[in-house]
Amino acid sequence: MREKVVGLVVCVAAGIFLACCPFFLNLYWLRNLTNIFMFAILTQAVNIIAGYTGYPAFGNVVFFGLGAYSTGVLMVKFHIPFAITILIGITVCLFFTLFFGIPVLRLKGHYFAIATLGLNEATRAIVDNLSDLTGGGMGLSLPLPTGDVGANNRFFYFMMYGTMMLSITVTYLISKSRFGYGCRSIRSDEEGAESMGIDTTRYKTMAWMISAALTGIAGSIYAYWMSYIEPSAVFDMTIAIKSFVMFLLGGAGTVIGPILGAFFIELISTFAWSYLLNYHIGALGLIIILVVIYMPRGFIYFLQERLSLRMFANSINEKRI
Amino acid sequence: MLFLQVLINGILLGGVYGCAAMGFSVIWGVMNLINLAHGSMIILGAYITYIVNTTTGLDPFLTIPISGLVLFLLGFVVQKYLINLVIGGSVFMTLILTFGLDLVLINTNLFLFTADLRSITPWYSGLGWQIETLRIPFTRLGVFVFSLTLTLILFLFMNRTKLGNAIKATSFDKDAAGLVGVDILKVYAITFGIGAGMAGMTGSLISMIYSFSPVLGDTFTMKSFVIVVLGGLGSIPGAIMGGLILGIAENFASVLLEPGYKDAISFILLVVILVLRPRGILGKQFFAEVKE
Repeated sequence: MREKVVGLVVCVAAGIFLACCPFFLNLYWLRNLTNIFMFAILTQAVNIIAGYTGYPAFGNVVFFGLGAYSTGVLMVKFHIPFAITILIGITVCLFFTLFFGIPVLRLKGHYFAIATLGLNEATRAIVDNLSDLTGGGMGLSLPLPTGDVGANNRFFYFMMYGTMMLSITVTYLISKSRFGYGCRSIRSDEEGAESMGIDTTRYKTMAWMISAALTGIAGSIYAYWMSYIEPSAVFDMTIAIKSFVMFLLGGAGTVIGPILGAFFIELISTFAWSYLLNYHIGALGLIIILVVIYMPRGFIYFLQERLSLRMFANSINEKRI
Repeated sequence: MLFLQVLINGILLGGVYGCAAMGFSVIWGVMNLINLAHGSMIILGAYITYIVNTTTGLDPFLTIPISGLVLFLLGFVVQKYLINLVIGGSVFMTLILTFGLDLVLINTNLFLFTADLRSITPWYSGLGWQIETLRIPFTRLGVFVFSLTLTLILFLFMNRTKLGNAIKATSFDKDAAGLVGVDILKVYAITFGIGAGMAGMTGSLISMIYSFSPVLGDTFTMKSFVIVVLGGLGSIPGAIMGGLILGIAENFASVLLEPGYKDAISFILLVVILVLRPRGILGKQFFAEVKE
């Protein structure tokens, strides 16, 4: 109990601190943090479908691309305001999931992972070839947001921050709800869940739709933020693999773990970029290898075991008994 | 005539694709491990051929054993001292480990060989058979023949030797194999070595028909994924079959549709096959399919 209260206080304090950051940090760090928030959203979205439901949606970045291109195409070709394009982007992602979810969610494990990867590559190629609408490989330049640089940076910072908070809240609610229990029962034994009367197809599809919607929002904001998108940048498998790494390193199937993973990996890459320019890829790789070997269950469990042994020895002992 | 030419190109390319996917398939089938560093290992093999060829002038085809041996040793060491530490844990943790390994390999390749595109042109590269309007270049034909030979050797090794049988036994049931005296961790190290060695030898072959640079490995990892799923996990003839299907489909797609759809075709094919026949075309019941 005490452990939970302390955890909650730490999280709320961190949330408030991050909300205050734009008022004293410089633009470089604001940009970095906005980027970290974006990865936190993607990671949390992966967590909902892979961590809670047990379906490793490797190619979830397809929704990022769909969101980005919905915003891009609608703003450039149809002059629709940004806020509305986010909603349309979400709708596109939801329909995509509804349409492909039912056949693809029949697959399990690695096979599901690869099928989602295939969906991403196929969608990327189609977007690449619809040059009249999407600009093809030339990319798409979005209208620049008006106003001064600082204000714009704060706008995108708070957009990503808000979406990240939304993703955390959604995950928390799922973890406590009947729906969340259903998802977790699918993760541990799908046939068992089915025989207990859970409509597994509906649960799986819903979980993936929530995940898709969150990823789509991040994509929409990214498009407007970067004001230039191209298929190879927004349907990039590196983004997918990175968010998967963050999700696993943070702690699969927990509310805060994936967020920690995102912060850890992105901060490390930023430092690696600035201090080891020629070796930053390798340094990141080495860190990933070390973390996998020394914390094979992810950060959050590592922290729980190590820290709580010192701070909350009693509560842990009670639990074990 | 165009039809025949496209078909021949597809088959010649498909043989190499099959060979490229072979090591990936064996590692996945035996250890339930997806090796994301596979593409970088292929590229490393290509660089070994490049270095040996430019420094000693040795024919690229003769460098195949060298890159095979170097990559075998690398794979053996990596599995023995790194992956074996976590192989019993979560499947996706080992996946992430190979991702980390991939980043390290890419960085090493960039550091050693720079990001420039390289290619190898042996003296016979412009030559070929000309039958009316059909054209079969010697290099591509040689690469195709070597791909099939390597596959055949691997097939015989897996089915006719004691070590090969031990690897197969481990892939079917590792606990039972352990009970009859197979040293599982050693078998894993050898399997990863073989997978990496196959990647290295494919790299030598690919260096003759493609330009390569350290960051192009991912393409081969992705293609290997598709091929293994098409042909069926752990099946050696299946990998060649999957490679041929992909090679032919890609070549026809780039002629019939806009060339931009070439890559899309392979992935659309992948999703369709997965949904209709999740075990692949020649797939048998193999380890990773039954258990998560």
